[in-house]
Amino acid sequence: MLGLTSDINWETLSKHLIDSENNIVEVRQLVRYHAKQLSMGIIDQTRITTAVSELLRNMYNYGGGGEVLIEKGIVDDKISLIITCTDHGSGIEDLELAMSDGYTSGNGMGYGLPGAKRLVDRFEIKSELNMGTIVRVMKWK
Amino acid sequence: MSKEYNIDKIAERINRIEDVLASVAAGDLDARINAEAEDDLSGIEAAIDLLIDDLTDELKQREKMQKEVEDKLSKIQEQQKTILQQQADLLELSSPVSKVWDNVLILPVIGTLDSQRTQVMMENLLEKIVETGCTISILDITGVPTVDTQVANHLLKTVTSARLLGAECIISGISPAIAQTIVHLGIDLSTIKTKATLQDAMIFAMKQNKRSENVKLQSLFTSSDEKEE
Ligand SMILES: Nc1ncnc2c1ncn2[C@@H]1O[C@H](COP(=O)(O)OP(=O)(O)OP(=O)(O)O)[C@@H](O)[C@H]1O
Ligand SMILES: [Mg+2]
Repeated sequence: MLGLTSDINWETLSKHLIDSENNIVEVRQLVRYHAKQLSMGIIDQTRITTAVSELLRNMYNYGGGGEVLIEKGIVDDKISLIITCTDHGSGIEDLELAMSDGYTSGNGMGYGLPGAKRLVDRFEIKSELNMGTIVRVMKWK
Repeated sequence: MSKEYNIDKIAERINRIEDVLASVAAGDLDARINAEAEDDLSGIEAAIDLLIDDLTDELKQREKMQKEVEDKLSKIQEQQKTILQQQADLLELSSPVSKVWDNVLILPVIGTLDSQRTQVMMENLLEKIVETGCTISILDITGVPTVDTQVANHLLKTVTSARLLGAECIISGISPAIAQTIVHLGIDLSTIKTKATLQDAMIFAMKQNKRSENVKLQSLFTSSDEKEE
């Protein structure tokens, strides 16, 4: 998608469909596994796993489910784990608002998106009303 | 060299071939011609027998495979049933609230806290608080691998509900990695009493217990003092 960092040399580790809470748990476990494979420490493993958990939950709650792509590659000379969450839901009307601490349109805490951003090394989001949302997060090794 | 052909004999053998083929067609795979003579026709007869042999093998193989597939399918269906049952059991099992000490309840949480489980867990805890009148409950999350905003939200709600029922809720077992992650998420857990380990939480609970007992004793003494005066 236009505007997101990407590289044809990235290696796809796995792809998943998210359409239930069980999927969320499975994919989360896989992200932790891949982080471990990249020999990330327990803190970084927990950070990337939690960040992805937020994205998956949003995708499930607001985007009607979607797809997750887990990749490994070099970003800015650093080996990274790259996770991309794509949904074709309602999209986010006001990105700035959605990214601010404490904003929720439902009955969450409103810390998912801004929190996920703080937990990763790079956070990219694109959203189009009635088209969907795509979020790409990266964690350096 | 010319051979003497007995027309009747040949007609009989052709009839036999027809019979065998009909039997096979009807499903009798044991039927064979079993030619005795050695002549031009016996080649054909032997070939037909071989063909039936092959056909039989093929059919048997296919039957075996079909049976295997059916067996596997029923096994999978059985496993699926077991898994569903176990999931239901686990939902109950995973929220065992027990009174470990006078006035103290413990709820060890293990695994993933999805909304359904959290609901069951919260209900169990609140029910038990009412039932036992305990004023301290410990929620141990050592076994929870990921605490995201949803889980944190559920925990906060559980603590608040317990408070409304007059019970203080201590959360124990937050690992350093999870503690850091919660801070980065931006979630404020400062209104909740947290302890690093279950042991710490239990020591805290016991001290709290003693203090409230002392207060009770003291008030008992002062009231009897008052009576004497
Ligand atoms: N994939 C998405 N599609 C549509 N809207 C979204 C999506 N992700 C987030 N949003 C919107 O952005 C808001 C903020 O998201 P955020 O994850 O920060 O908070 P939340 O999900 O409401 O609560 P929390 O994540 O703290 O439980 C959401 O309430 C929702 O309105
Ligand atoms: Mg969220």
